[in-house]
Amino acid sequence: MRSSKEMIRRELSRAIGLFSTLVLAVAAQPSSAAAQWSKAYEQFYMPGDFNWTFRRTYPAADRLFNAFDYGHAILYEKLYTRPGADVSLLEDKEYNFITKKLLVSPPNLPLEEAAIEVAYAKIAPEAKIMFDWAHLFHRQVYDVLADEKLSQAEKDATIARLISYYKTRPDLAFSSSPKSMDLMEGQPYSLAFRNKYPKFNGLIWGYHWLQVGLYEPLMTGKTLEERQAGVTAAVARFRQMLENAPEHMPRIMPMTAAVAPTFAKRYPEAAIIFDNLHSMHDVVSDILANPKVPHDRKRAEILRAAAAYRDRTSYVITPGEWMEMAQMMGLENMGGPAVGILPGWPTPTIARGQSAAEAMKNMAGMSGVSGANPKMAGMKMDSSSAGSAGMAGMDHSKMPETSPSAASPSSAPMNHANMNMAKDSAGKSGSMNMTGMNMDQSAMMQMHMRMMKDPVIRERVMRDTTMRRLMNEMMQSMPADHEMNMSDMTPSGARRSAPSSSAKKDRSRAATSPKSRTTSMTKASTTNKAKSPTAKGTSSAEKKAAAKPAPKPTMPPMDHSKMKMPGMEMPPVKKN
Amino acid sequence: MKQNSGRFSRHLTGAGLIVFLSIWGATRVAAQTDFYNTDRGRPVQIEDAYVTERHAFELKLAPVRLERSNGGIYNWGLEPEIAYGILPRTQIEVGLPFAYVELGQRRNAGLAGLDFSIMHNLNVETETLPALGVRADLLAPVGSLAAEHAFASFTGMATRTTQWIRFHVNGQYTAGPGNARPAGGAPRIGGPAAIELSRWLVGGAIDKTYPLSALLITADFYASKPIEAGSRVEYTTGTGFRYQRSPTLALDAGVGRRLNGDNPAWFLTFGTAYAFGIRSLFPFGR
Repeated sequence: MRSSKEMIRRELSRAIGLFSTLVLAVAAQPSSAAAQWSKAYEQFYMPGDFNWTFRRTYPAADRLFNAFDYGHAILYEKLYTRPGADVSLLEDKEYNFITKKLLVSPPNLPLEEAAIEVAYAKIAPEAKIMFDWAHLFHRQVYDVLADEKLSQAEKDATIARLISYYKTRPDLAFSSSPKSMDLMEGQPYSLAFRNKYPKFNGLIWGYHWLQVGLYEPLMTGKTLEERQAGVTAAVARFRQMLENAPEHMPRIMPMTAAVAPTFAKRYPEAAIIFDNLHSMHDVVSDILANPKVPHDRKRAEILRAAAAYRDRTSYVITPGEWMEMAQMMGLENMGGPAVGILPGWPTPTIARGQSAAEAMKNMAGMSGVSGANPKMAGMKMDSSSAGSAGMAGMDHSKMPETSPSAASPSSAPMNHANMNMAKDSAGKSGSMNMTGMNMDQSAMMQMHMRMMKDPVIRERVMRDTTMRRLMNEMMQSMPADHEMNMSDMTPSGARRSAPSSSAKKDRSRAATSPKSRTTSMTKASTTNKAKSPTAKGTSSAEKKAAAKPAPKPTMPPMDHSKMKMPGMEMPPVKKN
Repeated sequence: MKQNSGRFSRHLTGAGLIVFLSIWGATRVAAQTDFYNTDRGRPVQIEDAYVTERHAFELKLAPVRLERSNGGIYNWGLEPEIAYGILPRTQIEVGLPFAYVELGQRRNAGLAGLDFSIMHNLNVETETLPALGVRADLLAPVGSLAAEHAFASFTGMATRTTQWIRFHVNGQYTAGPGNARPAGGAPRIGGPAAIELSRWLVGGAIDKTYPLSALLITADFYASKPIEAGSRVEYTTGTGFRYQRSPTLALDAGVGRRLNGDNPAWFLTFGTAYAFGIRSLFPFGR
């Protein structure tokens, strides 16, 4: 008996010794960092019959999402493990693999990202699992919206349950309070990734455009066929973005409220979570790409940002401001709409690499306003430029209130009843006199041109016979150069029979005068639109025009002091 | 020779039938499983340090093992298991090992015990630490092919991932009498194939993942001391793969060889796993 116990003890100590040796061998790591003990853990998705519906109903889009997993994972891995590598590693090698092979034949199943982003998963497993948790939620929302068996009310209830379930993990869940752009773009490491890797960054934003954009056809389609056609069109548009990269890729982070407004309006919490998710993707890229963050500080910075994206207090803006911000950043800078897609491309208003704050500053007619308003939470404006704080300087508090909408305050239409058109001194066309708002003719025209540059607006105007007639009449009374530009934008049916000689003169002048760069940009854009969107050949002039940011509008500062618009009351920003 | 060949065909047909039934059943379970998280015996003995996700059930319907010992003796093992992620990083599991053994002209089949286990993952792998896990098993003496006594096993696991390969090490110790004999004439305590009971077991595994193909290839090597007193240390090696066929179905298969000891043998394994959730057990899931 005694010898038996002795034998067991001997065997036990031998087994423990052997095991310890093996564990030490496995644990051996050439790292000087302090031991990181992470207890992050994964959780199963909410059960339901809707699960995997999107996969079954929209297999092409679903498979693309699997490929997207790879793009994020390999990006983080390379940024972290190859900080000194040539830019071509990501911009050419990985980009080409992804766009020419992976996206052409995407994986059939969601990927195990830990097997791709091995080092990244080890430096910040908490952040990785945060992403995984949000991606699960993302996919389940597609499943619910794709489920033809569910009524709209059932979809609403199920998505509400999904949100509740998502929030049961406060250690993983992105906040459903919108965060300001300051969190993404106002940090010491910000913008590094987009500036160093414009093509890959455009690809990631293309992913995000499709990921949020697909919600829109799922929401707006009235039948399965319409939804399928809408999803197919959005996927096709995403693939078009890959051509001649990064020209047609988004130039700023696509915001759900802009790309999928119907979805964002109905499910604002989910949309905010997705924006925070995508925003943190960018933040992690910046932290990893920016050499100012030392290697041994990457984890700490990622965790710090992750905590800010989870809490409900730091960098918070109101849902109204978030909606507003999405509109101000400009859909045309985010890759354009995800439904009602037209053959042409919207003309971005900013250059690649610029920030969302700059995009907001460039908002048509909104620049040049003095008196920065720090209340525009998180919309960090460069106060040094043009003495403008962009939108921050606007005081909408006195605008007449119209159609208040809690969910979408920014979308409330302006009340034009208070606007009076009056003949100007030249007696040609009217200068507009809104209550307390003066706009001269050129400003009106700038605005008109800008609106007509938007392919969606243009298309709608052209479809509406009354509006088309009104526009034709208006064009009759326009100065020659504006008339020419408008003619270029409109299909032949809306054009006048032949441009006047003065118009020709003005057109040639516009092509060379820096003052008329807006005009030449329009032309480049129009020419481009006339071509097939898949056409690869692009003239150098077009490329040049497209590569440059659209000029800031020359529209004089608007005086909004007497306008009142719901949702524009800006509460003070809370920051930690 | 001809007789042996016929028996082999019968056993192979039986294995194929179980595989078919398990896949057929799998398509009717709406769930997802994960080829990346390895389990013991699926397809190799050495497993990783991670557990079933919180709130998930993982049903392993047909982990089959066919063993051919020297002399052409075939033994079968089938151990359906169900695991549940009951707490953060913690799973409980119940297994029902069935065995079919040949002893000359005698053929016995039956339950080889009832296996309860609890496994806890201590941490996620980080730059400085491997993932670590611990597990306790209790094999209760239930069934005609079960041992006379209960056995408790304690296992430690570690997982380390590099750019190319993952490493796992396991160490296990089993407490219980060393002179117990299995019921039903089974040659090994706890059943010949369903459960390998050892006084101790130490080993390592490597695996290589092909994430774009949802495929993992693995191999292991371990030393174990059979629980019977006086037995010699045995060395076993195995290799296999895990493959995610769809979000609802993962397959694994392997082959191995016990290299020495009283009963050197080849073995084949096959398994499927499905994960699912029960809504009423979820927070906010009602």
